[in-house]
Amino acid sequence: MQAIEVHNVQKSFGKLAVLKGVTLSADRGEIFTLLGENGAGKSTLINILATLSRADAGTVRILGLDPQSKGKQVREQISLNAQSMTLDEEFSGADNLRLIAQLRGIPNANAAIDNLAQRLGMTTFLQRKVKTYSGGMKRRLDIAMSLLGDPELIFLDEPTTGVDPKNRLELWQIIRELRDAGKTVFLTTQYLDEADALSDHIAFIAGGRIVKVGTPAQIKQRVRETYTASVAPVQVADAVQSLTAAGLDFAQHDTRFTFDHTVAARGLQTLLNSNVEVTAYQRDEADLESIFLSVTDQEAHHDVA
Amino acid sequence: MTSLKQLFALTRRIVRQNLTNADTIITVIAMPVFMLLFFVYILGGNIATASGAMSTSAYLRYSLPGFLLLTMAMGSAYTSLRINTDQTTGFLSRLHSLPIRRWVILGSHVLASVIFMLLAELCVFLVGIAMGYRVHATFGAFMGFWGLSLLFGLAITLLAVPFSLKADNYASAGSFSYILLMLLFVSSALMPTAGMAKLVRIFANHQPMTPIVNTARGLLNSAAAVSTHTAIIAAVWLVAGTIVFGVLSQVVYTRMYLRK
Repeated sequence: MQAIEVHNVQKSFGKLAVLKGVTLSADRGEIFTLLGENGAGKSTLINILATLSRADAGTVRILGLDPQSKGKQVREQISLNAQSMTLDEEFSGADNLRLIAQLRGIPNANAAIDNLAQRLGMTTFLQRKVKTYSGGMKRRLDIAMSLLGDPELIFLDEPTTGVDPKNRLELWQIIRELRDAGKTVFLTTQYLDEADALSDHIAFIAGGRIVKVGTPAQIKQRVRETYTASVAPVQVADAVQSLTAAGLDFAQHDTRFTFDHTVAARGLQTLLNSNVEVTAYQRDEADLESIFLSVTDQEAHHDVA
Repeated sequence: MTSLKQLFALTRRIVRQNLTNADTIITVIAMPVFMLLFFVYILGGNIATASGAMSTSAYLRYSLPGFLLLTMAMGSAYTSLRINTDQTTGFLSRLHSLPIRRWVILGSHVLASVIFMLLAELCVFLVGIAMGYRVHATFGAFMGFWGLSLLFGLAITLLAVPFSLKADNYASAGSFSYILLMLLFVSSALMPTAGMAKLVRIFANHQPMTPIVNTARGLLNSAAAVSTHTAIIAAVWLVAGTIVFGVLSQVVYTRMYLRK
């Protein structure tokens, strides 16, 4: 059984269609990342998955259950960490955690809180009022509130937004440890490095549609491959002349000539046949940023069309 | 049983938020006390009625029930603030993602609001006692006064709910409380209506606050007891307000959280 199954989910607010037929699935025990710009529909989807909102159409299964008809059972096994932190600043961190423990009916709440505080490195500041915390401490407490009760599936909606680099790395480690403990983490983020570093699977959402999905490696492989040849600086003009004469498409940047994989071999051969000295020739490494820009650009064109 | 435990846990949180927040204490308890002192000791002796000038003690006897309801009305602004803050920060969404019965979430705000209003009212009442106010009523009437206060607190809390859920921020969420305060000022709460300008007097005599305040006054002081007719009008306003605003609160809450 998969942790999350979403099929053709649609959601509109008035005339504004936010989700236009989203389909995705996440396995149990993995970190699944939904990557998209602001307004792409990430939070709308997470709200539907976390039983806060209803889809207009399509089907959703959370741990095999329908979140609408089996909402309470679903909520017993999930937790939501929203974008904005929901802390009582005048109370201590322990008080904030104790409230959630009471609401979840956790037996021996104090022991559970102590255990969690140790795991997340919060013991030194747990008894202080939250208003004295740094941004990173607050985010850690907010996430700790989501982990009380040992939920199977944890929704983290942009958990590292506004967090400094050191705390960001520590939060990454916490998220990895959740996966290592067998939990499923559904993460949304705008940060490509975060998605790359943490995810088992990534789905790109743009304009309310999933436009690409796979493991980080698969996504990088699926993009159009390009190859770049570097030539001796004195032979740049010769290279341009020979490639143009051969009728090949290429992009030039200083001494580097980039070809689509379909013409890369012919491009290299043309340069060599023209006695141009090729100092380097390599397949270009795709990064998530270029893929992200590419898919969001395609989606923009799709909407215009 | 679980739901009741959750209701009390959430209610305790909100009451504690109110009692540990200096701004709330100043606005909801200190301010009404200051107004009571100001009106009684500075204005009270200068208020002329048809039967001559009032003494400060007579004015205290007349106005304390009005000040008690005024205290509750001022508390309603903080009911709005708490609900709106929970709404805008996403705390309500966090609660909705937990295995809690949905009525518990809004119910805790309503219960906490009424408890806090009654606590604030009790504080101002004790200040009134310290100033020389004495209850002249049967035990039943005295308890009837607290029952009326409870119903008044419930009605204005339920009035606060839709405003606070719909408002963009806490400043606008609490603005409805000015309407309540205006209604209390233009009623028999602090002054008899007899000396008011004609149009104002007509409004004051026919708006809900006047029969409610008069009934409260009569329940605390048998010498000021009102007719059954006035008490019934007060009860109708309170019960109708509770039902209408309760339904309105439920509709707004359901649209925002349960059917979205």
